[in-house]
Amino acid sequence: MTIAQDISLASSDKTAPVLRVENVSKRFGTFTVLQSCSISVSEGEIVTLLGSSGCGKTTLLRCIAGFWAPEEGMILIDGHNTVPVPVNRRPVGVVFQSYALFPHLTVEGNVAYGLRMRGVPRSEISRRVADALESVSLRGFENRYPSQLSGGQQQRVAIARVLVLEPRVLLLDEPFNALDAKLRGTMQIELRELIKRLGMTAIFVTHDQEEALTMSDRIAVMQGGRIEQVAPPDEIFDRPATAYVADFIGLSNFIPCKVRDGKVTLPDGQSVATKESDTVKVMIRPHNLRVTAQGTGPWQGQVRFQRNIGPLIEYIVTAGEAEIRVVAMRQDRTRPWSEGDAISLEVIDPEYCTIYPAV
Amino acid sequence: MKFPDRSALGDMLGTGAIVGMGLFALFLLVAPSIIVLIISFDTRAFVSFPPQGFTFDWYLRVFEQRVLVEAMLNSLQVGITVTLLCIIMGVPTALVCVRGQFRGTTALSIFVLVPHMVPGIVLGVAVLFAAAAIGISPSIGLQSISITVFVLAVMVRTLMSRLQRMDPALEEAAANLGASPFQTLRTVTFPLLMPAILAGAVFTFIEGFDNISVAIFTHGFRDRPLPVELLALVQTTNTPLVAAVSGVQIVLAIIALIVVAASIGLEGVNE
Repeated sequence: MTIAQDISLASSDKTAPVLRVENVSKRFGTFTVLQSCSISVSEGEIVTLLGSSGCGKTTLLRCIAGFWAPEEGMILIDGHNTVPVPVNRRPVGVVFQSYALFPHLTVEGNVAYGLRMRGVPRSEISRRVADALESVSLRGFENRYPSQLSGGQQQRVAIARVLVLEPRVLLLDEPFNALDAKLRGTMQIELRELIKRLGMTAIFVTHDQEEALTMSDRIAVMQGGRIEQVAPPDEIFDRPATAYVADFIGLSNFIPCKVRDGKVTLPDGQSVATKESDTVKVMIRPHNLRVTAQGTGPWQGQVRFQRNIGPLIEYIVTAGEAEIRVVAMRQDRTRPWSEGDAISLEVIDPEYCTIYPAV
Repeated sequence: MKFPDRSALGDMLGTGAIVGMGLFALFLLVAPSIIVLIISFDTRAFVSFPPQGFTFDWYLRVFEQRVLVEAMLNSLQVGITVTLLCIIMGVPTALVCVRGQFRGTTALSIFVLVPHMVPGIVLGVAVLFAAAAIGISPSIGLQSISITVFVLAVMVRTLMSRLQRMDPALEEAAANLGASPFQTLRTVTFPLLMPAILAGAVFTFIEGFDNISVAIFTHGFRDRPLPVELLALVQTTNTPLVAAVSGVQIVLAIIALIVVAASIGLEGVNE
């Protein structure tokens, strides 16, 4: 516990990052799960580790929590390396995917657990437990057992149970997986507001990009044990740093193009400046394309499939050998194109396209 | 519909057959105990069915016979010792088999099963000879140890199935909240294992109390357990006294089940 106290005392410098992961690598046998991952998180920031299963996001979370030890690198909390600190002495609080509430203890027993283990005096325990339950609006539930609570309430107990210990970093492992789809949306907003209100520094793990876009101040997209890009949600979506990120987040069209004199010419004839050379892949978001009557431009194709998704219309267009996705707002005045129509495609804003080297 | 058609008739016959088989199985399970209980109240001095009259005499006689009371106390002592040994050895073994992070945990969990697969008589003879070879003579202690070896598997298997269904995140959560490994064991793992320990304890106690195949070789010759004494009694007498002794055992087993069911619920026993 002394280490945890030392670490809390050292946190006076608000500008320094609370958590710094430096070149962390983790192997299981000969299999490398994390390859030299680095990320820093500042006070009160919510960062999401996003990636498909097996990308290493949960491994990184478990290394920060101390369940697993990385082979290389440092994990600094308030400037202290925590890699040698045993799991039960780290100033981090984990909210598990299953919540892992103790089924044999009441809500009060669950929230008081950490304080009891630390030998905090009885009167202080009841005061701090009451405060913690207050902050997650669960006063009056003290004597219930976890099995008597809804999924959302269980999640709030799991949060109260760690925040009562005032951890420096909150770690949340896919906390919405156990909830049904309808509840998820509202719980995401509520949880983000709660964490912000408490001023906690948090790391989230998820495979759900919508969840990441909702919850995060910054998103770290991971793939194959590496962090591909760390940036705010807008930037991740609009200026993905690599082709993988562009493909993973949202829908995207990749079109091979040639570079000539520092410029890429798009299939519709417009051009964009680039630093790449030779052959490149240009990523165009479906909503950055417009379908027009045939003959209006050089990029011609045929509507293969058309569907209405609420306020949007999605087209799949066959243009040469490529299949291009286009998404348009549904408006009364524009005639929706039908399957089999011959049309032309046009890029709405060439500057909004991103360009990657062709592999 | 006045006449059921062929398929409905077939369904009814099928359902009837299954219910009939179930009732027959239940009859086979329960009838012997009920017949023994009925005979134990017979007023005549020999075993015969149907009984005549009703008396508690034989039960009083059971407790008047010093040999039988001592045999009961011996069996009680063995039952308790076996249960305690199984808990003390079974909990760590199950923890290692399920949570162990090294090679050989599967081998160990199968190895624990082996003595239970061996016929009790073989195990009894083996323990008797092995003990003789190192100069230990049969006694209540040896009998307890031999039965413990025989039924440890039941305890370990019961605990293992509970542990396997326990969310490993619970123990990680305890550690994350500041509990040392020992505190985690005491405050999380052990309380959650308690129903399985109790359920296992019922079986090990009953086995310790009335096992005969192993006990017949390893019991102390002056400290005869109840099943051995009962066998001797059946061979020499033909009075409902034997039935009364069995009656006492049946009541004891029912009490053990009720105690556990009351403390952890019937579903806990089912596990």
